[in-house]
Amino acid sequence: MSSKADVWQGTLALMVLKTLETLGPLHGYGIARRIEQTSGDLLSVNYGTLYPALLKLEQEGYIDSEWGQSDNNRKAKYYRLTRAGRKQLAKEAQEWGQATAILARFLSPREEES
Amino acid sequence: MRRLRGWFLRLSGLFYKERSDREFAQEMESHLQMHIDDNLRSGMTPEEARRHALIKLGGVAQAEQSYRDRRGIPALETFAQDLRFALRMLLKNPGFTFVAVLILALGIGANTAMFSVVQAVLLKPMAYSEPDRIVTLATFWKATAHQSQVSGPDYHDWHDQSDAFESMASYNHWDTSVIAQTNSNATAEYAHVAPVAAEFFNVFGMSPAVGREFSAEELKPGGAGASIVTYTFAARHFGEAGEALGKTLLVAGKSMAIVGVMPLGFRFPDKTDVWITEDAFEPGIASRSAHNYKVVGRLRTGVTLEQAQAQMKAIGARIEQKYPDSNSGLSVAVSRLRDQMVGDYRLTLYVMLAAVGVVLLIACANLANMLLAKAVGRAREIAIRAAVGASRVRIVRQLITESAVLALLAGALGVAMAFWGSRALVALAPADVPRLAEASIDGRVLLFALGVSLVASLLFGLAPALQVMRTDLNTALKQSVQRTAGGGSLADRMRQALVVAEIALSVILVAGAGLLIKSFVALQNVSLGFQTERVLVAEASVPASDLESARRATRFYRDLLPRVRAIPGVLDAGAIGAPLGDTRSDGGYYIDHLPATFNVSAPNAVFSVVAPDTFTTAGIPLLAGRDFNEGDTYDAPFVAVINEALARQAFPNQDPIGHSIFCGLDSMNAMKIVGIVGNTRQYGPSREPSPEIYMPYEQHPQPATDLSILVRTSGQPGTISPAVREKIHELSSEVPIKFTTMETLASQNVAAPRFRTLLLGIFAGLAVGLALVGVYGVMSYIVGQRSNEIGLRMALGASQGDVLRLVLRQTLLLAGLGIGIGLAGAAGVTQLLTSMLFGVRATDPMTYAAVVAVLALAALAASYIPARRAMRVDPMVALRYE
Repeated sequence: MSSKADVWQGTLALMVLKTLETLGPLHGYGIARRIEQTSGDLLSVNYGTLYPALLKLEQEGYIDSEWGQSDNNRKAKYYRLTRAGRKQLAKEAQEWGQATAILARFLSPREEES
Repeated sequence: MRRLRGWFLRLSGLFYKERSDREFAQEMESHLQMHIDDNLRSGMTPEEARRHALIKLGGVAQAEQSYRDRRGIPALETFAQDLRFALRMLLKNPGFTFVAVLILALGIGANTAMFSVVQAVLLKPMAYSEPDRIVTLATFWKATAHQSQVSGPDYHDWHDQSDAFESMASYNHWDTSVIAQTNSNATAEYAHVAPVAAEFFNVFGMSPAVGREFSAEELKPGGAGASIVTYTFAARHFGEAGEALGKTLLVAGKSMAIVGVMPLGFRFPDKTDVWITEDAFEPGIASRSAHNYKVVGRLRTGVTLEQAQAQMKAIGARIEQKYPDSNSGLSVAVSRLRDQMVGDYRLTLYVMLAAVGVVLLIACANLANMLLAKAVGRAREIAIRAAVGASRVRIVRQLITESAVLALLAGALGVAMAFWGSRALVALAPADVPRLAEASIDGRVLLFALGVSLVASLLFGLAPALQVMRTDLNTALKQSVQRTAGGGSLADRMRQALVVAEIALSVILVAGAGLLIKSFVALQNVSLGFQTERVLVAEASVPASDLESARRATRFYRDLLPRVRAIPGVLDAGAIGAPLGDTRSDGGYYIDHLPATFNVSAPNAVFSVVAPDTFTTAGIPLLAGRDFNEGDTYDAPFVAVINEALARQAFPNQDPIGHSIFCGLDSMNAMKIVGIVGNTRQYGPSREPSPEIYMPYEQHPQPATDLSILVRTSGQPGTISPAVREKIHELSSEVPIKFTTMETLASQNVAAPRFRTLLLGIFAGLAVGLALVGVYGVMSYIVGQRSNEIGLRMALGASQGDVLRLVLRQTLLLAGLGIGIGLAGAAGVTQLLTSMLFGVRATDPMTYAAVVAVLALAALAASYIPARRAMRVDPMVALRYE
């Protein structure tokens, strides 16, 4: 368990937004499980980071929340993507893609040889 | 934008804390339950499922904390917390809080009150448009660097040849008789009248609220003239401003139509009631050596004071070359109106502001001391807070918040005190401080008080905070409450250093006050050359505009004086042009014959017109010859009496009596010297007597229409005034009167020194009082600290006397150090006072010796109670602690 990497600051918000886009309205526990699963259990979501991040996204208007019932009849707070959140997701995803592409070029073997 | 929204929500998050706390707890609870459900589904036992879920959830408290931080604004919440805690601490120690707030409020209040005066007199812009462009122009005497009034022809040259000024105007002002011609019966009153030149109102950017300015026709020399009155004058006499237009004023006997009323508040120069056209009385005095006018100007936009000064210097040099007889050695001085008005008071006020600032510093040192003592007592509390996770920064912030709350409470009380203090200052100050009446607690003064409070809180909060930064957590926790009082020796040293600083600062203030007090006593003991006790002064002004009416005026006084002498309770009566201790006119004089050309190098004397018996009434001794008598009339041979200073200056080893003397008061007739009288200090006690020529009033009717009647009484002089008023009204209803006493006039002469002496005395007293509290506090603390040691010594046979010496030695060590440092500081700082001293030098050894004695005694007195306590230490009790 200790070998798992913690989610990097900044990327967590993007992962949350993407998760909500893919799965629709979801509670905090669900979001955490989904992120961990998607990473192939390589990431461990720290709840002390997750909930403040959710609050921040909500304060900035990218997500909404309301209380609802879970599949097994538990009362849970569901988070939902807003229109602004969708836009933000598209923007951040594109930026992230660019950033990783650039980094990839730097780290590619051809660069090393020259 | 999004970020802003976030901040807004966080700000509002501060207010729904409880609800959202509950919600978060529910969310965590549901999170946990879902995790347990999942674990159960994957086949764990209930206990295992719960354990795993809790492990994964991790530190709930930490998650909650970071969630809370995100929800609100942590700094603000911490601040609110600190604030609540600070208030609780202060309320828990009401005695400490009361004393601390009171000490600090005294300091802040005194500073705020002083600042309100400085702000009104020195800082607040004058209520004219672009007041910085208004300047005064004066004749500059190159030899003595002294400034004086301006001659008519010089002014006209300045006005016509310069282009640095948008407008320039000469003016004058004096108190004289004014009768407003209303429908009801008119009575004469004293009014402040200012004859002004054409552009006078433009200089101030003012124009009449009702009516118009003077027309070219009215301004013409020898023309009809006209008058403009103040708003209050119009309202007082005619009901409202508009009603005044077209009415007539009788100004010193000359009737002038009112053509305008100025807006409320405009009264320049001084406290003017009526402005009149300049040439109405003395059509164009053509002499360049008669310096009779004052001049103001408005700089053209973009022209600096320096440029204007340079241009005027060049013009002055041209005039000097062209008219060497009258103008050699003269130039022009241009200064800002405000600087000219404020004059000597600038230094006085800044010195007082600095002094009161020092009082605040001492108050801060005292508070730092008190807080240090408390911080040492709180060392355990603070150590515990640190142990449960508070960072040093957090603890220091807590302490600073406490200081700030204390300072703001004191600031609020201080402002309340300043309301009263500001009034008191205005009442104490000399009447001629310009714009003093405007002193009030306005927005800027409040801002100043707030600033001073916060700076003070930093000053006195720093010491205890530093102390905390240095505290070693482990030792503080380990030590028992009793021993913690021993704190760090750093705190002890800090406290002693603060007391030394308090004493040193007090020494500086007490030395300054001592020097001023000594000067003031010296001023009071100066013989003025005349008696001030039981002399009533009645200033009267008989309207007269030409020689004929002026001679009528002197006949009025000739009729009046015997009637005044006949009033029961009157011992003697006389009359003089300007009340003693003041002058109205001076100029060059010549002995035996007039020179072919007049030049500025002739010796100078004060000119006075007097009635017979004036010398006896005023107690001025007749040294030789005779006094004037009823026979010295306009038609009799002209005579004069000189004072001792003139006799010594003009007639060394010669008898002046029988010689002729000439002066240009109103005529150049030869006057035979018939008597010599003692000197008087015409310019107040701080200046040596000048040569003076006394002339019989009937022989100089034009300068004698306004006289001060002196009445020596057997009882209180004030009780005679109704009778004198009655006698004057019996003779004429057109003569206004103003009563005062010689004593009042003499005390007005020393109003400025009295003001600064009193003020610095009060501040020094406050300083010493605060330093006493400081010494007392530290010595009590030291005695408490050393009570074991003292007990031990006593058990080993030390006498009470030995213990007393122990405590006193410690006190004297601190006091000696403080006094030494203070004396060094005072020697430098008191140099600032040089211009305010009279008859004593800034390094006066007597004063310094007295200062040392006062502070050493005060320090010893302050350590008396701690010393007594030390002597009563019971060796058994003290030893039991070990």
